Amino acid sequence: MSSAKSVVISCAGIGSRLGLATTKALININGKSLIRWQLELFKDIEDVRIVIGFQANEVVEEVRKYRDDVVFVYNHRYFETKTGASFYLGARDGNEYALEYDGDLLVHPDDVKMLLEQEGEWVAYADKMSDDAVYVKTNQVGDVLAFSRDQGDYEWTGPCCLKKDRLRYSSGHVFNQLEPYLPMKGIKVRACDIDTYDDYQRALEFIKGW
Amino acid sequence: MTKFIFDLDGTVTKRETLPLISKHFGIQEAIDNLTKETIQGNIPFVESFIRRVYILGKLPINEVAQLLEDVELYKDVTKFISQNFENCVIATGNLECWIKKLAAKIGCCCYCSDGLTENNKVVKLTRILRKENLVKRYKSEGEKVVFIGDGNNDVEAMRAADISIASGLTHMPANSVLSIADYLVFSEEALCRQLNQLL
Repeated sequence: MSSAKSVVISCAGIGSRLGLATTKALININGKSLIRWQLELFKDIEDVRIVIGFQANEVVEEVRKYRDDVVFVYNHRYFETKTGASFYLGARDGNEYALEYDGDLLVHPDDVKMLLEQEGEWVAYADKMSDDAVYVKTNQVGDVLAFSRDQGDYEWTGPCCLKKDRLRYSSGHVFNQLEPYLPMKGIKVRACDIDTYDDYQRALEFIKGW
Repeated sequence: MTKFIFDLDGTVTKRETLPLISKHFGIQEAIDNLTKETIQGNIPFVESFIRRVYILGKLPINEVAQLLEDVELYKDVTKFISQNFENCVIATGNLECWIKKLAAKIGCCCYCSDGLTENNKVVKLTRILRKENLVKRYKSEGEKVVFIGDGNNDVEAMRAADISIASGLTHMPANSVLSIADYLVFSEEALCRQLNQLL
């Protein structure tokens, strides 16, 4: 457990590409809501901060079934902004380092454990898997050199960890928050994010291997 | 510097004090009707407050003050306040004569409404605290203001504050509060952790 690190889970979005008419935090993955899977991954972290927007009350209700000590952070402009804004809002009044974890992301529990032990700032990525991905270009030791919509060695999935003072309010994505600080230490993880219905089907398979 | 302004009822105290007083004196019906109408938005807050004081003002001040002094407080929240008493204030619409003893127990500066008293009764409401004016005053003095509240009467102050925390310690905060809050917490642990991070 690290008391010097906050975990920011971004669950504010409307999940429009998924087409299940519900924010992604509440979708059912093998009998558990996605946010419940995530809360289990971070059960030993003291400062968990959940950014809420679309269906905020439902997300709050679901989270409180499992944990009552999280700080909920509102992104009232969730329709106009992306995860970059949620990361900033979630981190700005938290601990010195903020681990950003997208609400649509599943990372293998062993890899989460390994990530939580990392010092300083870093970016995690995975093998290419999603339909609509952003890619990362890496060097020989795996450091992240650039993000790209077109090509790269791996898929950018997150999570990442950054000093909160380096974040700014932005209407962009989390990787846009990271771009000014590249190159950054890169770490490969087993992860899948859920943007589309095909991703969702893949996630169901992915989790069977845990 | 950061200035922390706390609503009193349900934020620092473990119970809303109004139902406590009305139950003690057997005037639940009158107060409940008023509260219901206010929550539904049929009666504006200030009008409701004036009518409430009219009802409660007839009660013996010393008994009301004693009742409030005995109300249980959130331990960790009170501890944060006492450890940072110079940076913390309470903002409550309650009359000073009713909450003087309770405020002394909490140990920080307390801003409240005022009334004219006679023979252990409140005969006239003389000033209603506007919480948002307190926020604006501290901001104009260069303070970074954090407001912690849960009710409709906290909304304008929370909107004016630099940072607003909706407290769900006693009950779910009003929807109007949730629509403008930066943070929402349900435990003393989460609230105090956030307060310490803001120091």
